[in-house]
Amino acid sequence: MDFSVQPDTPEISAFRKEVRDWLAENMRGSEHLRWSARWSTRENDEEYQFRRQLARKLGEKRWLFPTYPVQYGGAGLTLDHQFVLETEIDRYGLALGSIFYTLARLVAPAVLKFGTEEQKLEFLPPMLRGELAVWQVLTEPQGGSDVANCLTKAIRDGDDYIVNGQKIMVGHHLPPDFVWTLVCTNPGGKRHENLSWLHIPANLPGITIQHLHLMMGIKNAVFFDNVRVPAKYLVGGENNGWKVANSYLELEHGGGGSVSENPLFKRLIAHCQKTEFDGESLMEDQDVRDVIGDMLIDMDVQRLMGLRNFWHRYVRDPHPYGGPQFLYFQRMVRLRNSERVQQILGFDALAPDPSVHEEADFEYTVRSGPGWLHGGGTLDTDRLIIARRLGLGRPSQESAPTTV
Amino acid sequence: MDLRLNEDQSMMKKVAADFLKAEAPPYAITEWFQKKNVFIPELYKKTAEVGWLGMMIPDEYGGGGASCVDCAVVFEELGRGPLPGPYFSSGVLAAEIILTGGSQVQKKTLLPEICNGRSIVIPALSDDPIQWGAKSVQTRLSRTAMGFTLNGTKRFVYDGDSATNFICAARVESGGVVLALVNRNAPGVSVRPAAGFMIGAVEVHFENVAITADNFVGDWEVVERALIKALPILCAYKVGACQEIFEMTNEYTRTRVVFGQPIGRFQRVQDHCVDISIHLDGARWITYETLWKIDSSMEAAANVHQAKAVASEAYYQSCNLSHMVFAGPGTDYKHPLMAHSVLAHTLYQYLGTPLYHKRAMVDALYPRTAKDNAA
Repeated sequence: MDFSVQPDTPEISAFRKEVRDWLAENMRGSEHLRWSARWSTRENDEEYQFRRQLARKLGEKRWLFPTYPVQYGGAGLTLDHQFVLETEIDRYGLALGSIFYTLARLVAPAVLKFGTEEQKLEFLPPMLRGELAVWQVLTEPQGGSDVANCLTKAIRDGDDYIVNGQKIMVGHHLPPDFVWTLVCTNPGGKRHENLSWLHIPANLPGITIQHLHLMMGIKNAVFFDNVRVPAKYLVGGENNGWKVANSYLELEHGGGGSVSENPLFKRLIAHCQKTEFDGESLMEDQDVRDVIGDMLIDMDVQRLMGLRNFWHRYVRDPHPYGGPQFLYFQRMVRLRNSERVQQILGFDALAPDPSVHEEADFEYTVRSGPGWLHGGGTLDTDRLIIARRLGLGRPSQESAPTTV
Repeated sequence: MDLRLNEDQSMMKKVAADFLKAEAPPYAITEWFQKKNVFIPELYKKTAEVGWLGMMIPDEYGGGGASCVDCAVVFEELGRGPLPGPYFSSGVLAAEIILTGGSQVQKKTLLPEICNGRSIVIPALSDDPIQWGAKSVQTRLSRTAMGFTLNGTKRFVYDGDSATNFICAARVESGGVVLALVNRNAPGVSVRPAAGFMIGAVEVHFENVAITADNFVGDWEVVERALIKALPILCAYKVGACQEIFEMTNEYTRTRVVFGQPIGRFQRVQDHCVDISIHLDGARWITYETLWKIDSSMEAAANVHQAKAVASEAYYQSCNLSHMVFAGPGTDYKHPLMAHSVLAHTLYQYLGTPLYHKRAMVDALYPRTAKDNAA
């Protein structure tokens, strides 16, 4: 058994040095920036432009999707290389999968697995080069977690699909280039057998995007009003959308694993050490220490579940229920931490501090606890998936899909 | 990174599972717990033959020279039983105490005896049951003309019934704590079962028990150092127990039918199983990482406390969650869950509660200031 996270061979070690040097060079000028969390409410344009440029530069190096085949814009490297990139970028407080606001990390695997050769050659390179912002446009107002209950229709008309309908709770505060959209291509057809995916250029006439101001930041409603989408944008075959969704959503459902450190805990300790109340530092208070003890245990368990999932993905042996278990646990830990910082800090926990990484901001922590109880499903759908994977009350167990 | 067991470890796991199936099947274990007859001498001898006693003790003292992970793999399987008996208390904890603090003579004479099962050495450490740790040691060691005498009562000594010897922690006149080896049959030593919702605990009374200088095994620091390697093994045992509860409970949701369907179709029932999985996997990975750190000679004091807190809590909560699913039948002492339930409560207390270890973890990572210590 070996938990060491840097199993560097000489080749990997040389690669790590290359990445580290490259980042030292290319992260210059970002020292004063305080990163936003994945969906920002900070809306800092300087930060956004830096991240957007960084993604392009990483894309040029083919490091944004390092394991993808060369012909599609990847570097054809191994997961070891990807691991190096993930950990080195994490040192700067950013994540390889969300350098800027795009969900290409979810959409690209689906295109790679289900696209035709022509589609892969057309759709993947700009995405992998970090040039495009792609949204996943999945949730509908009436459907919510019931993804298969999809009312957005795409009716074939000659060489096009005519798309009508509404999606909600998607994207972020800046507009997308493409919207990866689940549509119903056979209204009245059998559930799970009437869905398809469209990779829709966001500038097509008839698409309207409206901001929604939510607890954890800005999201959007997207309206499709007789949008004419060329049929070449259909990925994975007509009425095969459920299978496509099931496979790649495992990534969104935690199956990809995680190797990053959460900066919140460190900051809380530092805060408690320097803050005095009634003549002594908060860190000397037994009640505060008990809360910190509980929090540390939660965060270590979460870190280890993420590491376990990462490893299962790494050896191409999906953990039977590890993906949704991680997601469920993470939601609950976030909620508990939301209360914990309030217990320790008092009113200060409700005031944002723009001088720190948003992930380490106490106010963001408080807000995102209840705010992120959903996202990629609710905690109840997480539990539902776990139950199926465990085969509770069923003669057989549903197996976990292989992540791409 | 490699989170698998290696080939040898997978083999050891299988041997242990097969051994348990043959020698300690579930119905037998349930009956042992029900009758509170948890020390089975013949079985203990057999486990010595397969090399499970003193696994981590070096070859030169008759042990197996195994790594912590090796040993944990076996104990995880034993926990699935849960196989009761002094496998941990003598074969791991006492052996580590003697290896850490014992004289060369003590090591040469006692360790091989522990490993072959002829001696069963049981740590009798705290007196005051309210809290674990050096502070709770009240048994006194006094100097006499001939040597020393021990006086005091250890109210809850886990596995004490099987002991041939005790390692007794005692307070000396200067206030410090020393460890003394005491023969169970020495004049002045008496043992009686501790009744209640617990298993394997006895009360050990020391009355004017004579101790000579060659009986000492060091001070409380020796216990703390021995626990670094020993506690994670106990945690692995609890992880195995949680795994068994998890599988047993999941299976029940498939076979138990009410309101016209298997209870596992009810989402409220599913939630209990999901929560067991969280406790199980939390305990498993915290424990494994700790074992790996120790085997890799990394600093692990805080991890050990963390593992003890998490694994004890996990075992206890897994039983409670399982009780929610099994309901009435699960509360019958003839049901396999009851062995776990009684043991989980016992091990929650044994060697310190989750709260104690959680605080010790925080103290190890963020020591309190000197001012506070003085107060």
